[in-house]
Amino acid sequence: MSPQFVDFDADGRLDIVAGIFDGSPHLVRGSAAGWQPPEQILDRDGARIVFNQFWNFDTKKWDSTHRCDGPGQTGEGHLTSAIAMDWDGDGDLDLLLGDHSSGRVYRRTNEGTPQQPAFSTRNEPVLAAGKPIDVPGTVATLRLVDWNGDGLLDLAAGSMGDAYSNGEGGGVYVYLNTGTKQAPVFAAPITLVERSRKGGTEPLRPDSGLYMDFGDHDGDGDLDLVVGGYSHWTPKPIELTAAQTQRVAALRAELAVAEKGSAAIMEAIDDATKGLAEAAADKKREELSAARLDELVAFGKKRQALQNELDPLVPGPKRASFVWLYENLGSAAKPAAVR
Amino acid sequence: MKPMKTACFPLFVLATATATAQSPTFAAPVRLMAGDKFLGENRLFPSPVYHDLDGDGLFDVVVGDLPGRLTVARRLPGDGPPKFAAETKVLAANGAQVDLKNW
Repeated sequence: MSPQFVDFDADGRLDIVAGIFDGSPHLVRGSAAGWQPPEQILDRDGARIVFNQFWNFDTKKWDSTHRCDGPGQTGEGHLTSAIAMDWDGDGDLDLLLGDHSSGRVYRRTNEGTPQQPAFSTRNEPVLAAGKPIDVPGTVATLRLVDWNGDGLLDLAAGSMGDAYSNGEGGGVYVYLNTGTKQAPVFAAPITLVERSRKGGTEPLRPDSGLYMDFGDHDGDGDLDLVVGGYSHWTPKPIELTAAQTQRVAALRAELAVAEKGSAAIMEAIDDATKGLAEAAADKKREELSAARLDELVAFGKKRQALQNELDPLVPGPKRASFVWLYENLGSAAKPAAVR
Repeated sequence: MKPMKTACFPLFVLATATATAQSPTFAAPVRLMAGDKFLGENRLFPSPVYHDLDGDGLFDVVVGDLPGRLTVARRLPGDGPPKFAAETKVLAANGAQVDLKNW
């Protein structure tokens, strides 16, 4: 979820627009009294705006639909980012929506008014260099920025990359608008931050899940980047004494036993639910998990304690989130401006 | 430090760079601090945005996350590199944290 502060309903107060992991764009209205409760941004027919995957609040399960598919939609789309933008220069705000699953960006046109938006019902792909945008590493967030100072809004995207293991990480890109205010035409992306290859021995950069914004952070007149994301690193191994080497072997053996123990419980639960209908299997799994919860918790605590002792001796992979500043060193001074 | 500005309509905050900045050189990234902690540390997918939340003319950094919660690191007055206070919750009209409640 990356918030955008924008006057969504043209009442003179800033609101907050954000796509969230439930698969739809949301709105927090600003008021004289403060921020109001969040609400979903719906289409002109009052239906949820989604790609394909979405959290179904009625069934309380993940669900999928092709109801809103536009041309070329992948079928696995998952909307998690949204920004409001006057796409066609008609004075009202349209929506640009990012796909966490595929890297595509889609548009919903506002067919209503600035005060009473009425969004179109299908996802229209946004193009760059004549092809549907495909953000390398899939979309984490979208932002608007006049990157080249030509008075036109450009589209920026931060990408997700592999946020959980050693695969290639995310980057930051800007798609320059080579068209007009009424008809944007986006060029091929310029890479602002390369995708991470990871592999550091300390946190050196945001490696995955890059959520960025632009601003003149240091007041020197150019655009800096602030980027949230996960760093992935593995500390350098230490030289072990003979006693430490022996202890490491013992800890690893104990860890294997603990892991085998919890895996056996989960396997037994799975076996007991085989052949049951989905609802019955869910119920059975819930009952059995509850019955063996104490054992599972005990194995979990044991594993954590062993890992805590092992980690300083044989450092394992680390992953932690931070917010980073990329200071722009390269451009001539020009005051920040606002449209 | 020049403050970020807001406009009347449409009300999204933007900034411009020069044409020479299309492929800029960035310094090696550094972790921002909020108080005595790293900004966004241990948040699930922290997503920062510059915004003058308290209207003091200085940009703050608002941070969203996967669960849908908003915090703010308010910029402290003073010269030199921007410094930020410890993160606090962004509060709604009802006094609770602004929370888009993922699902």
